[in-house]
Formats: sequence, structure tokens, C-alpha cells
Amino acid sequence: MKYSNPRIPEGINTSKRHALTEFAVLAGGALLLIALVGWVLGSTGGYLARQLPFEYEASLVPESLLQSDASEPLQRYLDRLANRLIAEMEVPEDMDVRLSFSGEDTFNAFATLGGNVLLYRGLTEQLPHENALSMLIAHEIAHVVHRDPIVGIGRAAAIQLAVSLFLGDPNLSVLGSAGIYTQLHFSREMEGAADAAALAAVNAVYGHVAGAQDLFATIQVKREKTGTGEPAAIFSSHPLDRQRLEAITSLAEEHGWVTTGPTQPLPAEFTSWMEQAALKAGQNR
Amino acid sequence: MVDLAIFITLLALGYGIGQYAEKRHYRSILEREAKLNFLPAIAVRFPPPEPHYAQALVYGSTVVSVDYFKRFVAALRNLFGGRVMVYESLLDRARREALLRMKAQAEALGAKMVFNIKYETMSISKGARQTVGSVEVLAYGTALIEPHA
Repeated sequence: MKYSNPRIPEGINTSKRHALTEFAVLAGGALLLIALVGWVLGSTGGYLARQLPFEYEASLVPESLLQSDASEPLQRYLDRLANRLIAEMEVPEDMDVRLSFSGEDTFNAFATLGGNVLLYRGLTEQLPHENALSMLIAHEIAHVVHRDPIVGIGRAAAIQLAVSLFLGDPNLSVLGSAGIYTQLHFSREMEGAADAAALAAVNAVYGHVAGAQDLFATIQVKREKTGTGEPAAIFSSHPLDRQRLEAITSLAEEHGWVTTGPTQPLPAEFTSWMEQAALKAGQNR
Repeated sequence: MVDLAIFITLLALGYGIGQYAEKRHYRSILEREAKLNFLPAIAVRFPPPEPHYAQALVYGSTVVSVDYFKRFVAALRNLFGGRVMVYESLLDRARREALLRMKAQAEALGAKMVFNIKYETMSISKGARQTVGSVEVLAYGTALIEPHA
């Protein structure tokens, strides 16, 4: 008997498909899947969070976060501004907005659960006039009115939960960490809606929207100074400054709001209030 | 950001070096297969009764591991299911290399042919987490050596 090995044609046990094609198809599919699941989870979490009653939100906020460094006159001044704006915004009856002021140098301001708004000296003292300050406060109040903080936390918690379950390391203490209350990320839609509501309120209070965009100009200047590598935390998810400015202009046009007018200067004591708050923050630390 | 850069670098390195090594290996496999084709490797268990050959166990083994790129693509495959194409070529190379080493051993013994060829595959890192997976492929058979006249 004669034995021999025939020549077997190449490529029977391997596939012809290029490794990079395989990679592109799989990675693309995986990204699509992640985006889809993330979106579904985020919307579900946000929807469910919105169902929580507002009073319940307040109990979630750690007290320590909201100690105000503002001296009596500064607090009165800020409250007066806020109340004027609130009167012009559609704030539901059961919603209490509480304004706090931190003497820290952080370039930031945020709205968090339970209607709490925190302004930092770092950002506030850079503002050129009251109109910009009102725009800032109105923007944060608008977040409260739209219930963005609880929706943001609901979204983040749903996604975080899914990720940790998927990785087999369930970390259910998401809601327990303080970071989540100060570093909320709102979507661009939320920011855009807050801008629009704030602008309407500013227009109602001052009779024009001049100076409102100076808030964004201040942020832009700061951003350029710090470089793009490290944008101020809360503004990193905000729409690009230029887009926001354009959106404001077109909003004003659409509603026929006056875009020029005298801006209200900040009170003469404002600088000394800032210094006092900084001192107080230093002592508390 | 740094993590991402490291990841992409590893991926690119894995792809570049892995593909280069694979091409080179296939060239060498084809060349040696042609050279050793005169030595039949037969799966049949029963050798021809006549003449009386001397017999010897011959074997060849390879241990293969997988590059970063292939590992990542295979992990993605885990998500969707289907043929893990990137591993197919890897194991194809391992099997053929093992057989070639076995044949080389048989040739050195002056064998006429090798009978009762078997393959065995075993995972070295089976069950251990955080280790790079590697497999041994072993080919063995009975070399039939013409008795000295």
C-alpha cells in the first residue's frame, strides 16, 4: 500500500476576513450597543427620578454642603435678587429655592437637590455687573425648576448601577458619596433650556437682556486663561460658549427682547462682602 | 486619557507585531511543509503488516499565546457570539507547527512514515483570572522506521 499526504489548499481552517474589518465591525457594534443601553438606562433613570416628590429631594442633601459663608448684607442682597427672579419664573408652589454662598476660590456655581443653589466667590467676584449675576442665579434656579439635579442623579445612578453590575462589582453606595451632589453633569439640552428660562426672567426683571451674555463672556475668558485642558468643572458639559452666545442672541430676536440697555452696577460694598466671605471660608477650613 | 492612549498603543503594537509575526510564520510553515511532504503523516491506527518496521513515539508541541489586539477582538466576540476569526489562524498555525516539529523528529529518526497521528490541545492558564491565555498544541504519532538490512 502506498501512503502519501495530499497538498491541502490554504485557508480551509482560517477565515479570509481581515482582522481590522473584524475589529471595526465588532467595536462599532459594541459602541452602538453601549450608547443605546446607556441612553435607555439614562432616560429610564431620569424619568423615575422625576417622579420623586420634591420634599424627598431635600432630605438627600448633606447639610454640610450648604453652609453659607455670606455675611448678612450679602445674603440679603442675593436673596433679594433671587426673589425678584423667582417672581418672574414659573416656580411651583411647593418648591423652595435656597441660595448659599461659599467663600472658596472655586470658579463655579451649581444647583443641587432640594432647590439648593450654591454660588462660589471664585466665579461671583469676576462678574462685571448685577445683570450677569442675575443671569447666573436665574440659570441655576431654572435648573431647580426643571428638576435637573434629581434627573441628573437618576441618570447617573442608573448607568453607574448597570456598569457595576456588569463588571460584577456592585457598588450601590452611589447616592452616598458627596461628589455626586457637587459634580452633577447636566445634558446640553438641560443647559440650553436653563439658559432660555434664565434669559426670560432677566428680561422680565430688567426690561432688556443686555449684560446677560457677559456671564458667558466671563466664563470664556476664564476658560481661555486656564487653557482648554481643564475647563471649570461645571461648565465642561455646557454647550460651547460661542454657541450659547448665539443661542441667546437668536432667543432675544425671536421674542423681540431688547438687547441694549443700561446695566445695573453691583453694590458699592460688593468687593468688601467678597473679602469677608473669603475670610470666613478661610476660618472654617 | 492616558489610559486610553496606553490602550490604543498596546492595540496598535499588538496588531502590528502580531500580523508581522503571523505572516512570517505562515511563510515558514508553507516552506517546511513542502520540504517534509515526502514523509506521510497518517491518522490510521494500524500500520501496514509488511515489512516489519521498527516503531518509535514521535511528538511535537507548540505553546501559543495571543497578542493584545486579538485578545481584545476576541473579547468583543464574546459579546455577540459567532466565529472567533482572530483565534482561528492562531490555532491553525499552532497545529501545523506542532505537526511539523513531530515530522522533523521522525525525519531525524529516519522514519518512512508516521502512523496513528493524534492532536491534543490544552489550555495552560485555564480558569486563572488576569493571566494571558495560552494553549499548548501537541501532535504525536508512531514513527515507522525501516529496519536496517
